[in-house]
Amino acid sequence: LFKRLTDSVQNITGNKVLTDEDINTVLVDFKTNLMAKNVATDIAEKLAQSVKTSLIGQRTERFTTVRATVKKALTEAVQRILTPKKSVDVLRAALEAKAQGRVYSIVFLGVNGVGKSTNLAKVCYYLKHKGGLKVMIAACDTFRAGAVEQLRTHARCLEVDLFERGYGKDAAFIAKEAIQTAGNEGYDVVLIDTAGRMQDNEPLMRALAKLVAVNNPNLILFVGEALVGNDAVDQLQKFNQCLVDMSHTSKVRTIDGILLTKFDTVDDKVGAALSMVYITGQPVIFVGTGQKYTHLRKLNVNTVVKALLG
Amino acid sequence: MVLAELGSRISGALRKLQTATVIDEAVLDECLKEIAAALLQADVNVRYVAQLRNNIKRTVQLEEAAMGTNKRKLIQKCVVEELVTMLTPDRSPFAPKKGKPNIIMFVGLQGSGKTTTCTKYAHYYQRKGWKTALVCADTFRAGAFDQLKQNATKAKIPFYGSYTETDPVKIAEEGVEQFKKDKYELIIVDTSGRHKQEGALLEEMKQVAEAVEPNDIIYVMDSHIGQACFDQAKAFRDAVDVGSVIVTKLDGHAKGGGALSAVAATDSPVIFIGTGEHFDDFESFEAKSFVSRLLGLGDIGGLFNT
Ligand SMILES: Nc1nc2c(ncn2[C@@H]2O[C@H](COP(=O)(O)OP(=O)(O)OP(=O)(O)O)[C@@H](O)[C@H]2O)c(=O)[nH]1
Ligand SMILES: Nc1nc2c(ncn2[C@@H]2O[C@H](COP(=O)(O)OP(=O)(O)OP(=O)(O)O)[C@@H](O)[C@H]2O)c(=O)[nH]1
Ligand SMILES: [Mg+2]
Ligand SMILES: [Mg+2]
Repeated sequence: LFKRLTDSVQNITGNKVLTDEDINTVLVDFKTNLMAKNVATDIAEKLAQSVKTSLIGQRTERFTTVRATVKKALTEAVQRILTPKKSVDVLRAALEAKAQGRVYSIVFLGVNGVGKSTNLAKVCYYLKHKGGLKVMIAACDTFRAGAVEQLRTHARCLEVDLFERGYGKDAAFIAKEAIQTAGNEGYDVVLIDTAGRMQDNEPLMRALAKLVAVNNPNLILFVGEALVGNDAVDQLQKFNQCLVDMSHTSKVRTIDGILLTKFDTVDDKVGAALSMVYITGQPVIFVGTGQKYTHLRKLNVNTVVKALLG
Repeated sequence: MVLAELGSRISGALRKLQTATVIDEAVLDECLKEIAAALLQADVNVRYVAQLRNNIKRTVQLEEAAMGTNKRKLIQKCVVEELVTMLTPDRSPFAPKKGKPNIIMFVGLQGSGKTTTCTKYAHYYQRKGWKTALVCADTFRAGAFDQLKQNATKAKIPFYGSYTETDPVKIAEEGVEQFKKDKYELIIVDTSGRHKQEGALLEEMKQVAEAVEPNDIIYVMDSHIGQACFDQAKAFRDAVDVGSVIVTKLDGHAKGGGALSAVAATDSPVIFIGTGEHFDDFESFEAKSFVSRLLGLGDIGGLFNT
């Protein structure tokens, strides 16, 4: 009884040694909350575990409850994960390439319908208007109905050129031709659209790995939607794995960064951002916040942390 | 393939019950905890998982007191029944009537698969001898009309749309009018993707619905969607009279637990599932066999009679 009394007093005054049980009791709620905010269950679980490990045996600070202590540790952990270890500044990289007389190429890849083509158009708008760069769009989705016309419409609205070879052709080869043409004709940037594909579809994944291997683009952007639930983890793992396994070249490439789309459709359920960054260790380079060309932002880490734990 | 993993996890939890010598409250809790974890991983809404867990526990305790039945069988039956119940809304699915114009409007979030599924749906009925046609009322998305046109042409289905008209209400109205006149039996209206945060888009959907007076409105949902599923589906249902749900991209790795939320939010049955990008990758949906597959239980008919 005396022990329990000290425990509850110390929960208020602080200076309490944290046990496994203390932490578990409050951690359960935080974990459920993270999942409700659309963090993948595995990621929420791993995060909770690591926070627990770091806290067991520690003393709570003065006048800090167990709950507040756990929350603080969790917040710091989420912040750390979301804060990029390397920053990718696409505009600067493209300008540098231009200065050196090289064409800068970006490949957009991801599963079906997440927003690859639309956000490619937004990146095009950004590079053209913010950087004054001469951009070419390469229509390498040669499968989905209307994919070429979709890009043609964007190219017309954005007043940039479209490199296209119609449907049914080998996407890797079209991309290659586009990059060559861009080099010959004084373009600064080539944006390569690819067909959406499910990560378990082996033939399609093989074709994608070939496109990457053949063209060795400057940036490989994974496009994922903020709406996605637990599959976020599997998508990123398998896209990366396929680039590694099926590349057949000595220089293996993996995903360089994430373009997180449809951020405007999830309210505070922003957990997919955490899942995607956690699993790849790669930064969110852009966030898509709508269907217009100007709806492209940088990720605000604090907003995400607040939405998840605030 | 997709559901097997979830199924094996849940049946694994149930199997543990088989091996436990005494099933006390702790064993039951442990089993329910594992089932809950599996459902969460399948993107079932956090709220429903808690609800399901409580319901099962209550039923098991009640029935056990009443008849002292085999506890393992009882729990298994409960899980199955709860899931089937969640997938079976009060509202029965709309059945199109032959020889009459049936107007079907497709709605849903951006990129969920509406345009692709429109053609699949038309193709499905056309093969059964229905006179079907497609109307493209998406004037927003770049290349939307080309997409529908190319799909329709490939599947040999008549279509209506415009490259210049920007008012979706007008196109929908005109297209439906024309196909009605030509005695089409299934007139399918594809619309732009939209979401609950943009009121103007929901308003536009309402106007299209008012103009064409659909016999059924189908909410198309992507099986990959996570916890935002319920809120979005609910917003569509609140704006228009959604009567059916189609779950797409089940050929992927996602388990599609959001279907439970979509059914609950719209009080509408799932009628078909999409399992690929081709027209034939389309299957009709049946709650009992879906759950049976989900749980890896094979034929569960017997369970309902015990
Ligand atoms: N609300 C919202 N919608 C978006 C956003 N980005 C893209 N979309 C919409 O999502 C839908 C699909 O976009 P696409 O660019 O065609 O997607 P995709 O990944 O290229 O699709 P596939 O090539 O068929 O795999 C379109 O209706 C876009 O307007 C975004 O940031 N917010
Ligand atoms: N693998 C797979 N892909 C699908 C399925 N259904 C649709 N898709 C793909 O998903 C992407 C988006 O499909 P659309 O039909 O364009 O989606 P939408 O809802 O009309 O999109 P918006 O009009 O932009 O809102 C395309 O790449 C389709 O080929 C499916 O069942 N399986
Ligand atoms: Mg595309
Ligand atoms: Mg569409």
